[in-house]
Amino acid sequence: MNVVEAVYKSLNKKNEELCGDKVEIVRTDDSMIMILSDGLGSGVKANILSTLSSKIIRTMLKEGASIDDAVSTIASTLPVCSVRKLAYSTFSILQIYDDGHAHLTEFDNPTCFCLRRGKLLELPFEEREVAGKIIRESDFTVAQGDYYVLVSDGVIYAGVGETLNFGWTWDNVAQYLERESTKGYSAYRMANSLASACNDLYMGLPGDDTTVAVAKIIPARRVHILASPPLHKEDDERFVKEFMADSDVRIICGGTSGNLVSRVLGKPLRTSVKYTDPSLPPTAVIDGIDLVTEGVLTLNRTLDILRECRKHEGELHDLAILDADNGAAKIAKILIEDCTHLTLYIGQAINPAHQNPDLPFDLSIKYRLLEELADLVRQFGKDVTCHYY
Amino acid sequence: MNVTICVGSSCHLKGSPKVIKRLEYLIAQHHLEDQIELSGSFCMDQCSLGSSGVCVQVDHVVHSVTPSTVDSFFQEYILGGLAS
Repeated sequence: MNVVEAVYKSLNKKNEELCGDKVEIVRTDDSMIMILSDGLGSGVKANILSTLSSKIIRTMLKEGASIDDAVSTIASTLPVCSVRKLAYSTFSILQIYDDGHAHLTEFDNPTCFCLRRGKLLELPFEEREVAGKIIRESDFTVAQGDYYVLVSDGVIYAGVGETLNFGWTWDNVAQYLERESTKGYSAYRMANSLASACNDLYMGLPGDDTTVAVAKIIPARRVHILASPPLHKEDDERFVKEFMADSDVRIICGGTSGNLVSRVLGKPLRTSVKYTDPSLPPTAVIDGIDLVTEGVLTLNRTLDILRECRKHEGELHDLAILDADNGAAKIAKILIEDCTHLTLYIGQAINPAHQNPDLPFDLSIKYRLLEELADLVRQFGKDVTCHYY
Repeated sequence: MNVTICVGSSCHLKGSPKVIKRLEYLIAQHHLEDQIELSGSFCMDQCSLGSSGVCVQVDHVVHSVTPSTVDSFFQEYILGGLAS
């Protein structure tokens, strides 16, 4: 089954606290809808216009209204700008259904970039008028590995009058995306890469609000994380067996858990003494397991990284925290970039080594850390299940 | 000779990184790289051994070592063990 991974990043126009572009990503029972709206002007006014447009479209489509209804609602309800005597905000709406069918609607935004196998794909468009607005529409079928990139005009005009006479232009952005799309990037990394390139062209001072929203069609990736041994020792085998089944990526968080899995599977656990990051215990290796880390200190750091990424949702940020060479960053990177479904296998045994009040860090909080992990990963739009033993 | 240092959560907080670094240094100083294999392990279930030290196992015997006792531990059990 294919899943749509959708991520967006915005750069605010220089000296503006608010962005005049707005992205809404919503999942319905049988589809994913991504909306990008660019409001007239900048700052507060633009932000209100684009927020209204995208929220109205989002809410109406989610509840089953037609695109025509949503567009006419916007046309007749947006507040009119007192300076320009206009009520105006552009929009692109990309709806991708679980069966692979997709519908794209655009009004005055740059055309969506579609990339398939490293090449730009041209979509057949039809124009029609709805509530006095000329909209462009396309129906097509998506394929695994496709990227669909919606942008505001701040992207195609990036660097205008500064580094580039006419700005970056649609064709050059398309070339850039063609090249980037061969690198196997996640939607998260792709959005960050394009936003970062725009920021560079603007030399860090965007002349306009700049937004990219990327949808990538990926296969479902089921990540299983096992943490702590079960309460009753006789459950060990069942615990490990269920953890090993039906997974694409397997992670063990915890030394004792690592030893337990090693024993049940009859495969040796090799721990390295190489400290790639002196503040975290090193990782280990078990044949057939993708990653074995220490437990509570590593998880705590993973949560820090996820929180940091979450805080910068919709903003450009340095992906170095995900690419760092330590167990915690590796877990965070898998969860953000290589996971659609996460299942946590949580053992409820109490670790006697952690009940030591002399330690400078409270180790007895693993259970709470795991609950927070589940909650955070859900906020990234992933499906999370917890099993307790 | 196999020397295994615990790098579990609890020992990590008690200073495994420092103990490992110092042992690596001492081994290099004495040119014993060919004779000693340093490896790590997650919790060895020996936490009760010493609440202040890191578990270090030398040929099946587990010792409790703190960053300040590494040198004497090295003298007594590693150099001593090799000599015997």
